Amino acid sequence: MNDKYMKISDLNTYIKSLFDENPYLKKVYLRGEISNFKNHSRGHLYFTLKDDASRISAVMFYSSAVNINFAPEDGMNVLVEGRISCYPAQGTYQIYVDKMEVDGLGNLYLEFEKLKAKLSKEGLFAPEAKKRIPKIPKRIGIITAPTGAAIRDILSTIKRRFPICETILFPALVQGSSAAPDIVKQIKEADSGKYNLDVLIIGRGGGSIEDLWAFNEEIVARAIYDARVPIISAVGHEIDFTISDFVADMRAPTPTGAAEMAVPTISEINNILNSYEIRLNEFTTNLIHKSKLKLNNITSSYILKNPLSLYELKEQKLDTFIDTLNNNIKKRLGNYELILNNLKQSYVLKNPLSLFAVKKEKLLFTEKNLTNHITNTLTINNHKYDILVNTLKLVNPLNILDKGYSLVTKDNTVIKDTKDLKVNDIIKVKFHKGRIKAEIKEVLSHE
Amino acid sequence: MEKSFEDALKELEAIVKELESGNVELDSAIDKYTEAMKLVKYCNEKLNTATEKVNKILTENKELVDFEVSE
Repeated sequence: MNDKYMKISDLNTYIKSLFDENPYLKKVYLRGEISNFKNHSRGHLYFTLKDDASRISAVMFYSSAVNINFAPEDGMNVLVEGRISCYPAQGTYQIYVDKMEVDGLGNLYLEFEKLKAKLSKEGLFAPEAKKRIPKIPKRIGIITAPTGAAIRDILSTIKRRFPICETILFPALVQGSSAAPDIVKQIKEADSGKYNLDVLIIGRGGGSIEDLWAFNEEIVARAIYDARVPIISAVGHEIDFTISDFVADMRAPTPTGAAEMAVPTISEINNILNSYEIRLNEFTTNLIHKSKLKLNNITSSYILKNPLSLYELKEQKLDTFIDTLNNNIKKRLGNYELILNNLKQSYVLKNPLSLFAVKKEKLLFTEKNLTNHITNTLTINNHKYDILVNTLKLVNPLNILDKGYSLVTKDNTVIKDTKDLKVNDIIKVKFHKGRIKAEIKEVLSHE
Repeated sequence: MEKSFEDALKELEAIVKELESGNVELDSAIDKYTEAMKLVKYCNEKLNTATEKVNKILTENKELVDFEVSE
């Protein structure tokens, strides 16, 4: 029978063989979101993987599923590794998952970039904020896990290169959610000033980006930035860059590298010592040579070669002083002499009697003045007296009587008007010579 | 207390720099040179007889105790 219709199972088996033989489909890595998740009672996992455009069925058999360390559920982003094949019974192709892990990476990467940009903008990575790592440290602090390759590498490197350096390990969790606060706590402790650290190494060995994540946390970055002690960051391998690396004063590719940066080798120090020795010797030889030259110059100077010339100079100076002194004294004496002579030449000293003559003259003059003054005063007063007497004579009413006038009074009052008199009034009349008492007979007129 | 290697080296560096600055009088320069050479000798001796320092670890109780990496 030549039937052109084939059995479905044959087709599906053929198609399955196409999948199975394709080298590209033998190992496939997919990133997607879980949906329609079913955990079969026998331990196999069935689900759909999807992204925003497509979906694919997935199965993870118990033998692989026991190895996953999380509980898958709908909506979870996962990374899977498996092969693509066909399930002939249903005519569907699907991914047979061997390994599955949570896809935190995408989010972590975004977080990393965001924090890096933020801290960079704030200046936490600025070269001018970096502290110098001392060349020769006395004591080194180390923040890492107390077990594992990192601490072993660091300590053995320090021991090999510079065994006289002291180390203090500040043990910290370097993985998991408690790691970041633990590292921060130890940075603050190490930087507290209690330990006199010259440099601090912070780090851990290699691992996945999630393992290293503590070193990408903002609190760790800020603690590193705030620390006063210089910090070398050594996280993971050469290829791993963390925020801590950017903010630290120096980034080491590995923990071993950090130890190499932190301490010199004995031979490096020997070189430094040798160079100091050479510089000291050169400098001193030079100094002595220069000093000798200077001394020679001074010794060969004229003064030192002719000490007498010093003396001569002084002699001459002394002479000048004496001359000046003499001149000064002479000049001053001359002045006094002149003043004295002038005094001697004065008229008064030469004619002492002239002093008396002057006084006498003054006395005579005064006496004469006095006499004149008195005489004058007397004359003036006499004159004034005469005038007064005459005036008195003139105004004396009695004087008028001798010219024939009489003075009439009544009751001791001088009568000037007949109106003051009436008939029978008694009046007194005074004449130039003699007085009478009279009686008014008649008032003739009043005018 | 004995002078530490690092302090000696720092002192040495300071003297060399001071001398090279040229502000030192001859007498004191010679003194300083002698002192510096003593420091060089001291540092060399210290290096050659360098004894390995014991590593320390800070415990939970903030105590420093000897530490060795467990293999």
